[in-house]
Amino acid sequence: MIGSKGLCPQNLIFCLKMSFLFQSILNGVLAGCIYALFAMGLTLIYGVLGFVNFAHGELIMWGAYFLYLLMEKPIGLPLPSALAFALLLTALMGTGVDRFVFRPLRHANSLTLLIAALGLSFLLRNGAQFFWGAEIRTYGFEIKRGFRFLDISITLNQMMIIFATIISISFVYLLFHRSRLGKSMRALSDNLELARVVGIDSKRTIRFAWIIASILAGAGGILLALDTNLQPGMGLINLVKAFAATLLGGVGNLWGALWGGILIGLAENLGVLVISPGYKDAIAFGIMVLMLLIRPSVLFHKQE
Amino acid sequence: MDLFLHLCIMIAIYIIFALSLNLEVGYTGLFNFGHVAFFGIGAYTSALLTLHRVPFELSLLLALAMAGLWGFLLSLPSLRLRGDYFGIATLGFGEIIRMVFQNEVWLTKGPMGLPGIPKPILFSYRFATLPQYLSLVLAFTLLTFLVLRVILRSPFGRVLKAIREDEIAAAALGKNVLRFRIKSFIIGSLFAGLAGTLWAHYTTFVSPGDFTLLETILVLLIVVLGGKGTEWGPVWGAIVLIFFQESLRFLRLPADWTRYLAPLQQMILGGLLILLMIFRPEGLIREKGKISNAGDKGDQ
Amino acid sequence: MKRRIYGLSILMGVLFLLTTPVAKAQETVKIGAAFALSGSIAVYGEGFKKAVDLAVEEINVAGGLRGKKIEIVYEDNKSTPKDCVTAVRKLITVDKVPVIFGPAGSSNFMAAAPVAQESKVVMISAQGAAPGLTKAGEYIFRVFPSDVLQGKGISDLCISLGYMEVPVMYVNNDWGLGLKNVFVENFKKAGGKVTDEVPYDDGKTDYRTELIRATKGNPRATVNLTYITSGSVMFKQAYEMGIKTQWICGSAAKAPKLVELAGKAVEGIIGTYPVFSQETKEYKAFRASWKKKYGDEKVPIFGEYNYDMVFITAKAVEKGGYTSDGIRRALFEVGRGYRGVTGDKTFDQDRGVGSEYGVWTVREGQIVDYKK
Repeated sequence: MIGSKGLCPQNLIFCLKMSFLFQSILNGVLAGCIYALFAMGLTLIYGVLGFVNFAHGELIMWGAYFLYLLMEKPIGLPLPSALAFALLLTALMGTGVDRFVFRPLRHANSLTLLIAALGLSFLLRNGAQFFWGAEIRTYGFEIKRGFRFLDISITLNQMMIIFATIISISFVYLLFHRSRLGKSMRALSDNLELARVVGIDSKRTIRFAWIIASILAGAGGILLALDTNLQPGMGLINLVKAFAATLLGGVGNLWGALWGGILIGLAENLGVLVISPGYKDAIAFGIMVLMLLIRPSVLFHKQE
Repeated sequence: MDLFLHLCIMIAIYIIFALSLNLEVGYTGLFNFGHVAFFGIGAYTSALLTLHRVPFELSLLLALAMAGLWGFLLSLPSLRLRGDYFGIATLGFGEIIRMVFQNEVWLTKGPMGLPGIPKPILFSYRFATLPQYLSLVLAFTLLTFLVLRVILRSPFGRVLKAIREDEIAAAALGKNVLRFRIKSFIIGSLFAGLAGTLWAHYTTFVSPGDFTLLETILVLLIVVLGGKGTEWGPVWGAIVLIFFQESLRFLRLPADWTRYLAPLQQMILGGLLILLMIFRPEGLIREKGKISNAGDKGDQ
Repeated sequence: MKRRIYGLSILMGVLFLLTTPVAKAQETVKIGAAFALSGSIAVYGEGFKKAVDLAVEEINVAGGLRGKKIEIVYEDNKSTPKDCVTAVRKLITVDKVPVIFGPAGSSNFMAAAPVAQESKVVMISAQGAAPGLTKAGEYIFRVFPSDVLQGKGISDLCISLGYMEVPVMYVNNDWGLGLKNVFVENFKKAGGKVTDEVPYDDGKTDYRTELIRATKGNPRATVNLTYITSGSVMFKQAYEMGIKTQWICGSAAKAPKLVELAGKAVEGIIGTYPVFSQETKEYKAFRASWKKKYGDEKVPIFGEYNYDMVFITAKAVEKGGYTSDGIRRALFEVGRGYRGVTGDKTFDQDRGVGSEYGVWTVREGQIVDYKK
C-alpha cells in the first residue's frame, strides 16, 4: 500500500504525501524512457532525411501488435523469439514504408510529404483496427503485484523498461560514434548532396536509418503495451509526445531526444497532481506548442 | 429519397468546410492541420446557445464570431512558424481544443455530448424536414462559394498567392506578409465555423468524438483530391469523397461486418492520399495560371 | 461553366438513382436493435444480442407475431454516442422500423433518444440506469430501474459496513455522473464524508494516475462506479501497484466477463445491483431455455432484462399493431402487472420500472450474493 506505516511512524501524513510524490516521479521517469525511445527514432529520420515522419506513431503501434500476433495462437511463440521477430517485422515495415511511400517523394515539397505521411498513418492505424478491432487488448501475462521498495511500487515490466532503454541508448551511442555507418548517417544529415559526392552510399545508409528508427519505435511500443495495454490509437498520441520530446531536445539531436523524453514523462506525471487527469495528454501538446513558439531556430520561414 | 437528401446536405456542408480550408492551404500556403477545431467551435457555440433558447439568427452570428476570434488568437503565435512546424503547432492546437471539449464537462457536457440540438428557425421559418434543411444549407454553400470567389479574385487574393509562391518577393514589394496570413486564417476559421454550425443543427448531436484528426484528414483529402488552389476543386472533392464515405455508411450489411467496414473505408482514404501525393499531387482540377505543376513535386 | 453545371447534374442524377431503394414485400416483422457490437463496451452488446436472439427464437418457434416471424435488424453502434445516433438514424430512415432496442450505456442511449423521439419511433432500454434516461419524450421507455434507488443502495451499503469516509471514482458520463450524484447526496445525508471525486474516461489503457489520486489517503474503501473493460484495466493496475482498499461498485460491473478479464485482481470486490428473485417460475423457465440454446455459457450481464424487453415488445406489437403509436400505447397496457424474468414490468409515468437492490461480491472467481 502506498505509504505503509512501517517506514515513517511519526509524521505519517507527510510521509504519505511524499511517497505519493515519489511514485509519480518514478512513473514519470518510466514513461519518459518510453517517450525517449520514440523520440530517438523520430529525430533520427529527421536528421537523415529532413522531414518529420507523421506515421512514426504507427510503427510504434505495429511493433506492439506484431508481438501480440506472434505470441497469440496459432503462432504462439515464446517471448524471446517472438520479441526478436516482432522487431524484425517492424524494421521490415519501416523500410517498406520508406521504399514505397517516402522514396518516390524524396524530392517533393514539404506539404506533399506531410500529407502523404498523414495518409500513411491513417492507413496503418486503420489497418490494425481492421485486424484486431478497436477494443483494448493485453499480452495476457499473469497479473502480479509489484515490488515494494521504500513505499514505492515497481513491477517487473517497469524494471524491464528501464533496462531496455539503457541497452538501446548504449547501442545507439556505439553505433553513432564508433561505427562507419554512424559516420555516414551524420554526414548525410549534415549535407545530403555533399555526402553523395564524397561517395557515401546514401541508399544503404538511409535504409539503415529506417531499420534503427523502426526497431526503436517497435521496442518502445512493446514496452508501452507491456506496461499498459494495446489499442490501435496508441500510436498517434505517443507521436505527439515524441514530437514534443524531439523539439525539447533539439531536432536531430539524439541525446536531446533522450532528455526531452524523460522531461515530458516527468511533466505529465507531476502535472496531473495539480491539474485534472483528463488533460494529461494535453501537457505534452502544450510543451510542444510552447517549444515551437519560443525556440528561435524555427521562427524564420524556410529559405531553401 | 431520404438517403439522397442526406447525402446532398452532407456534401454541401463539407463543400463549405473544404472551401474554407482551401483558402488557407491552397491559396495562402498555410498547412493548417487543426482546422477541425474551428468546425467544432462553431458547432458547440451554436448548439449551446440554441439549447439555451437563444434564437438561431443570433447563435449563428455568435458561432461565426467565436470561430473567427479563435482563428485570430491561434494564428497570432503560430503564424511566425515555418511550414511544417506550423502544421504541427496547428495539429497541437486542434487536439488541445478537442480536449477542452472533452474535459470541461460543466460547459460542453464532455463525452456525453449535447443531444437534442433544435432545428434552426430563421426569420420565423423552421427548417425541420430534409428538403427544408437542404435548401438552407445550399443557400449558405452558394453564399460561401461566391464570397470566397470574390475574395480570391480580388487584389487581396492575388497577394495571398504571391505570398505562397515567394514570400521574400512579396515582402520586398512592401506587403505585410504576416497580416495577410492572419486575415486569411480568420476568414478560413469563420467559414469552418459556419460549416460546423450547419452540421450540428443537422445531426442534432455533438460530442468531442466528432472533432478529431480524422475530420481534418478528411477535409484535407477533399481539398487535395479536388485540386487545391482552385475554385471548383473543393466542390468536386467533396462530392466524390462524401458520397463515398456516407453512402457506404448507410449500406445494409450484416451487423458483424460493419466493424470491418469503417476501418476499411478509412484505410482506403489513407491509401488514396498517399497515391494522390505520389502520382497526382495537384488533384483532379489543376490550378490555373501555374506555369507547371512540377512545383508540387519539386524542391520548393 | 455550362459544361460544369451539366456534369454536376448528371453526377447528381446518378447519385439519386443509386440511393433510391427498391421496395420489398414485408415477410417478417422487423425490429431494430442498435447494440454495441464493437468498441469499448462491446462486451455488453454481445451479451444483449445473445439474450435477444434467444427470446426471438422462442417467439418464432411458437408461431411468431401475427403469423410472421420476428427479424431483428442489428446495427453496430461502436460504443460511442455519435455512432449510436448514426445507428438509430439508419434504422429509422433506411429500415423504417417502428421500434428499436436501444444501446447500452446511458450516455449512448440519451444521445440517440431525441432522434427516435423526433421521428416518433419507440426506443427501449434494457440497461440504462441514469435518472433522466427517458426525458427525451413519450416514445422512450426502459425496462431497467433508475439509479435513484441504486445510489441510496450504495450509500446504505457503505454505512452498514462501517465505511464513513470514502473517495468516489466514476466513469465520466451520464450514468457515472448521475449515480455519483445520487450516492453523494444520500451518503452525506447519512453522515458520511466523500473525500474525493475522481472522474475518468471509459476506454483508456492507463488509469494509474487516477488510481493514485483517488487512493492517496489510503482509504479503507473506495467507491468505483465503473464498466467492465475499464474496470478490468483499473483493478489490474491497482493490484499491480499494491493498492489495498475495499472496492465498492455499481451494477454495471457485476459481470462474469469482469472476473474473466481481471482474475484475482477483483477477488472480494462488492457491489449493488437491482435484484429480482431467482425462485420464480419465469426465471426458472428462462434459465432452462438459456441452457438449451447456449449450454453452460454464463448468462451475460443484463441478459434477463433484454429477454424481458423482447417479450414485452412482442406483446405490444400483438396488441397495438406494427406502428410506433400503437406500440407506444400498448406498452403501458401490456406492462401492467406483467411478470417478466426480472420482476414486475409495470411502466410508471416516466416510462420506467421499479426494483429492489441487493449486494453482490466476487468470491473464488464467482459472482455471488454478498453475506457479511
